[in-house]
Amino acid sequence: MFKEMKKAFFIIIILAMTILFILSVDIEYGNPKNLDVANYYIEQGLYDTGAINLVAAIYLGYRAYDTLMETIVLFVAVAGVVFCLRGKR
Amino acid sequence: MRSSKIIRTIAQKLFPFIVLFGFYLISHGHLSPGGGFQGGVVLGTAIILLALSHSIEQTEKKFKSRWLNMLEKLGILTLIFLGFLGIFLGYSFLGNFLPLGNPGQIASGGLMLLLNIAIGIKVAAGVSVIFYALVRYRGEI
Repeated sequence: MFKEMKKAFFIIIILAMTILFILSVDIEYGNPKNLDVANYYIEQGLYDTGAINLVAAIYLGYRAYDTLMETIVLFVAVAGVVFCLRGKR
Repeated sequence: MRSSKIIRTIAQKLFPFIVLFGFYLISHGHLSPGGGFQGGVVLGTAIILLALSHSIEQTEKKFKSRWLNMLEKLGILTLIFLGFLGIFLGYSFLGNFLPLGNPGQIASGGLMLLLNIAIGIKVAAGVSVIFYALVRYRGEI
């Protein structure tokens, strides 16, 4: 009982510190002034990747790692479903 | 359980068009809305429609579970192999080592078409493998 309370106390402390840290960092997400990356994609995407579909230019050109990992996530999901439902008829 | 004749006929006639639409979405992923994931899900839906309208045994004779399992692994291995091919040819991982071509043509975009095809095959096989596993768990459709 005492041990579990101690553990919960530590978790609450760590969560509170994380939230305070996130709130203390001064980044304005969604600020219309910080659109450098988006403007770069719009202007240079066609010349960098050669695709006129800008969505494809980002998810297969600039962020192909993300797509690869997404595919691996689906692979693990399929493996998990086949593993959990094996041997039943 | 057996579906009615109308449903079986319509599903059978509709099947090639759904497959064609899926291949269109995959191959034109870098030119128009669509891509590997969406086209793969459409291809998987075609197999699921065939299994729901006809019986699961008939569908498993055409699209064997073993082959679909193999295709899924083949798709993800092709993706990783294409990524490492970029390193061997002097670019970064998953870097584009093919010529870009004229924008708007099917051969433009370099590596994108091959990546889309690999993702599409993998997603189509994965969706139908999940469906087969669920049907086998339940014992019937």
